[in-house]
Amino acid sequence: MHPLDLAIIVGYLALITFVGLRLAGRVKTAHDFFLAGRTLSWWVIGLSIIGTNIGANSYVGAAGNAFSIGIAQANFEWIGAIPAMIIAALVFIPLYWKAGVYSIPEYLGLRYNPTVRVVAALITSVVAVFAIGVALWAIALTLQTYLGWPIWVGILVTGTIVGAYSIAGGLAAVAFTDIFQVCIMFAGGLVIVGLGISETGGFSGFTETLISENPNHLQAYLPADHESYPWPGVIFGLGMVLSPAYWWAGQAILQRSLGAKTQWDASAGMMFAAFGKIFVPLLIVFPGLLALVMHAQIEYPDMALPWIIKNVLPPGISGLMFIAIIAALQSTIDSSVNSTSLMLTRDVRHVLIKNANPDNDLKVGRVLTLVLLLLSMCTAPLVAEMGGIFTFLQTILSLFQGPMLALLILGAFTRRATPQAGLWTLISGVVVSSVTLYSGVNMLYVAFSSFIYSLVALWVLSGFTAPHPNKDLSNLTYSPWRRS
Amino acid sequence: MDIANLPLAWANYLSILIFLCIFVLVWSIPKKVVFEDAPDQSRWRDIRVWATVLVAVQLFIYAVFN
Repeated sequence: MHPLDLAIIVGYLALITFVGLRLAGRVKTAHDFFLAGRTLSWWVIGLSIIGTNIGANSYVGAAGNAFSIGIAQANFEWIGAIPAMIIAALVFIPLYWKAGVYSIPEYLGLRYNPTVRVVAALITSVVAVFAIGVALWAIALTLQTYLGWPIWVGILVTGTIVGAYSIAGGLAAVAFTDIFQVCIMFAGGLVIVGLGISETGGFSGFTETLISENPNHLQAYLPADHESYPWPGVIFGLGMVLSPAYWWAGQAILQRSLGAKTQWDASAGMMFAAFGKIFVPLLIVFPGLLALVMHAQIEYPDMALPWIIKNVLPPGISGLMFIAIIAALQSTIDSSVNSTSLMLTRDVRHVLIKNANPDNDLKVGRVLTLVLLLLSMCTAPLVAEMGGIFTFLQTILSLFQGPMLALLILGAFTRRATPQAGLWTLISGVVVSSVTLYSGVNMLYVAFSSFIYSLVALWVLSGFTAPHPNKDLSNLTYSPWRRS
Repeated sequence: MDIANLPLAWANYLSILIFLCIFVLVWSIPKKVVFEDAPDQSRWRDIRVWATVLVAVQLFIYAVFN
């Protein structure tokens, strides 16, 4: 390894640990730990959202997909994110802010009933443990590739560093370290763009080669009969269900918005993150297209990014890209650990243990953060050996997205949705999506059909069940157009 | 109609329509809601303007890559 690469890596790890631990002094209560004492500014929130959003699959998987299908991969950042982010900023963040909640399951609990709150929190938490395990495994693999560290050392070192600042500094430490991580990601991405374009004869040379050799790679969408990403599935399944469910109900994403110093900062932070999303394809899609233009001889598409790092980046700079990948994974892990700890501490513990003392939330939250990290470190090797489990859990989570989104939309925009109807729609909606998935339908269409079913079921069932015990739902519904 | 036979061009038209709907929704939200808690009422703090720029960029993208 080039000494400059090593210096960048060591400098990054030292800086992240220092910044994270410096913020530990601010944490005096659970409010400080989980919501950063509501002190975060819009630009901190925006960068932190981007950092949390770009995860393990983004770098390697998206570059590989771009190599295969072209710019259509960017739909996950554009139609599959930006509309939902704009609505999150202007509708759902003000709604959660007005409700005064710590988490999305807490909002669902207030709007429907505590059972919905616990179910939502538990499902998200179980999947998060495995997701963190996957990210830890991916970091350990990267460390093994670049530094030759054994896998268990990579997991231990990463878990210790992330654990140190997450347990000590809570959400503030997570958000501020995310800022450094996002800056490194963009720096690494821009270096690849600059060197890649120069390597292929300038911007005109790059585009001419791409257009002449792979004209279909510049189409925003793939045909409606495409096996994996048919355009109706992308627009209706991804754009109208999976993406809104992620951006309107994803605790790991929205927690930093709930930690904003004002409602305006919370909304502006999400909108700022949406601007970042426009440029994310430069980091994760462009390397795949570059590998294509440079006629990379690779065995499978996911090798596109490693090929670019090896063949485009000069010694001394490849360390930057290595750190960018580590940073992307770390920012996802720390956010997931903090948000899962919050949901278990408040949404599960406060409901299931009747006399749980809220004064102990900080201590419980820190212990749970440690336990979650240890659990994820233990599951990391399992995930690699039995990858099917994670895929299964991800599928289970996807089955909940349609029904969960229906609960959120009718709960937020109408007073009609009742607690019993909410619970039964959640249960029956998952059954409907399971049956649809079992019949071999594309996951994107499963999400859309279960969402439509759940909307209708919730509307109809609400007509036959007892209304919400709290007649005044003004703090739990979004109605800016109502005359006061 | 078989969904697998829908024309590819419709995808871009539909995307453009979705972003135009977002634009209308954004500007239907009252100003007082957008500026809730804001430190001041400066023009740059109107996040409906930010959303408009985002929508414009997306309209350009889906008009070009078709």
